[in-house]
Amino acid sequence: MAGDSAVSRRVVLARLAADVIARTDGIAATAGPAGRWQTAGSHQSVPGVLAVEDARGRVELELHLVARWPIQMPLEQLGEQLRERLRGAAGLAGMDQQLGAVSVAFDDVQADAGSAR
Amino acid sequence: MSEADRTARPVRSAAPAREVAQPDDHAPLLSELGRTTIGDGVVTKVAGLAAREVPGVHELGGFAARAVGSVTERVGLGDAFNQGVSVEAGETEAAVDLALVIDYGESIPRVADAVRQHVIKRVEGITGLTVIEVNITVNDLYFPGDDQAGAAPRVA
Repeated sequence: MAGDSAVSRRVVLARLAADVIARTDGIAATAGPAGRWQTAGSHQSVPGVLAVEDARGRVELELHLVARWPIQMPLEQLGEQLRERLRGAAGLAGMDQQLGAVSVAFDDVQADAGSAR
Repeated sequence: MSEADRTARPVRSAAPAREVAQPDDHAPLLSELGRTTIGDGVVTKVAGLAAREVPGVHELGGFAARAVGSVTERVGLGDAFNQGVSVEAGETEAAVDLALVIDYGESIPRVADAVRQHVIKRVEGITGLTVIEVNITVNDLYFPGDDQAGAAPRVA
């Protein structure tokens, strides 16, 4: 049976990134002020993830994150870990060739009230 | 090192910079597969939270900062973790200023030194920045019962 499969690579990769972020301990995505960083999907937006197609047709991702205190590893290492997991997830989805650079921005740290005295 | 040098943000590696929107308060850590940026607010919060972990530190901030902080926090504009902390972060270095309230009975020099060491360890370990100075101002001492001061009526 023939037919078209119209899939937005941008939205799919943004959703994959959101899933990887959600499964990573001690980290959350943030859409930033006024939802500045999000990718609009057909049903709902993906907060904290900006997905942009580059000139070569690959999708560059920009992840905006909040780390949870206490932070257990260097943030640069955490960023690398996210990148690796995301590339693994994209590979499983058959989209590794379409994934471009992944930028990770740590915008804030979240601590519970007991951390403030 | 001058203040201008410390706050300058040269690109750390020779990797080509991409035209991705980047807020000014982020220091880029570049790699081939993308960059990692750490906001200045993150460095400030790490320094403040690290200082609070040291025994003998009761809280951070001067009287005015604490008074204003409690109000802004209640209306959702402030963040208690930034209170009493000022950070100047450049590309590879950071300078931290802290205002502390120390528990009465603790050695002020000992606590200040412990705070300095712990803040350096946490900020450097988490952000990769080199902390070139931690300036500490002890604004007040906390006496047990200070929180209840004024709560009891003076007359029956």
